[in-house]
Amino acid sequence: MTDLLFLAFAAVTIGAAILAIEARDLVYGAAALGIAFLGVAGLFFLLDAAYVGWFQIAVYIGAVVVLILFTVMLVGPKMGEAPLGLKRVSLLAAILVSLLLGMTGALANATAFPGKDSCGSGCDLYLLSTSLLKNYGVQLEFMSLVMAAAVIGALALSKTDRGP
Amino acid sequence: MLGPLQPLIDMVTSPLFLMIVLFPGLTSIAIIGALLGWLERKVTARVQLRIGPLYASPAGGILQMFADLIKLSFKELFVPENSDAFFFIMAPTTGLVIGAALVGLIPFAPGLQIANIEVGLPAFLAIITLSPSLVLLAGWSANSKFPFIGGLRALFQQTAYEIPLWLSALGVIMMAGTLNLAQIVAAQSTGWFIIPQALGAFIFLVTSVAEMERLPFDLPEAESEIMMGWQAEYPGVLFLAAQGPGFVKLYAFSALFTTIYLGGFLGPSLLPPLFWMLSKTLVVIILIMLLRSTFPRVRLDQLLRAGWTTLLTLAIVNIGITYLLVVGLPTF
Repeated sequence: MTDLLFLAFAAVTIGAAILAIEARDLVYGAAALGIAFLGVAGLFFLLDAAYVGWFQIAVYIGAVVVLILFTVMLVGPKMGEAPLGLKRVSLLAAILVSLLLGMTGALANATAFPGKDSCGSGCDLYLLSTSLLKNYGVQLEFMSLVMAAAVIGALALSKTDRGP
Repeated sequence: MLGPLQPLIDMVTSPLFLMIVLFPGLTSIAIIGALLGWLERKVTARVQLRIGPLYASPAGGILQMFADLIKLSFKELFVPENSDAFFFIMAPTTGLVIGAALVGLIPFAPGLQIANIEVGLPAFLAIITLSPSLVLLAGWSANSKFPFIGGLRALFQQTAYEIPLWLSALGVIMMAGTLNLAQIVAAQSTGWFIIPQALGAFIFLVTSVAEMERLPFDLPEAESEIMMGWQAEYPGVLFLAAQGPGFVKLYAFSALFTTIYLGGFLGPSLLPPLFWMLSKTLVVIILIMLLRSTFPRVRLDQLLRAGWTTLLTLAIVNIGITYLLVVGLPTF
């Protein structure tokens, strides 16, 4: 059952990530990115890290995808108009996605979320908070750069040759 | 005896299946959603000294929404020309699924909860963060001016009010020391959280009204400015699917407010816990409906300034107060 679920989530994640890069319309690309993030959240649930999974949904879909959609719709190409420099951007996106997949792969083993501080089936909130702030404080700060990355990425994606 | 049908019958009669299908699951969500539509019209009418729905019913027009439902489902279903059909249809239907998922996390009575997960409160708030992108996609896909303006307004408003919403819920988590909604209710057996968390409850109520796009924060719909905003182009059944999540969210948010601030299903044991839960939820719903008929609509700049400055500051102050209540004065 777990294997089947893992395969399903992995297939959804990879398929949606490919669609996110290859979609002609940037809005479809952003929506596919959201589906890919949902797949990653599903992988976290399989690893019994529900807390990480829900925050994956809240931050990546609730904020990053929304930022990208927002920028694309406000300053991006009009419906049907092709965006500029799709090749270079897709190369960059491919690198980013492979990094993401690599990170997910590195996390996806049984020792990645040991003990009760992952807030899965048994949740000790005190233990979770201490380990988040003491053991993973630096990583958490680096992860907050993701918002800045999302804004810059969305602006780069939305570039057209329409002129000023 | 029944042979191959036995597993199927076992599944259909299992408590979880009945909860998902009947109460608090899908059937009850649909019926309560429709009844809330009627209640809203009736309450607004009473405040404005009108009668409201009257004819479609045995009592006080209670079947009005069901009549509307039948009317809307027989209307012609079409997708506007030059619109993006995929997102035009997907966005409101996914919105309905999200609204129903919210109700599944609420504990209505001991054991009467579809998904009793450890991280119930963050899960509820995380599911809510999915709705701005859906509204934006719905507004964009219609390829029409007013829906697009409505979608952008929804995005501005919901992203600005999500942060105070999360921070005000943090106060409750600090008081209860758990993220599980059933345990948060249990932690209130000594006293409801609305008393120590009065400021937090106020912020939570205001931000959740903004998240639900209800008056005085109904800018994305604003029928007198942008003619229903992002819902303007929806025909027949799709209009129903676009309107439905609003009422389901009203139900879910009021139930969540009851759960985390008003002691959930706790109450004198004269009556069953379910009665207390539903009656408290009804009080919160009527309170939110009265806001609709009492306050005028705010402007977008006022709304955003209040969200990013006043409410955010108040939410952080509330966390400070909660720290003092839980931990006490810091010792050096």
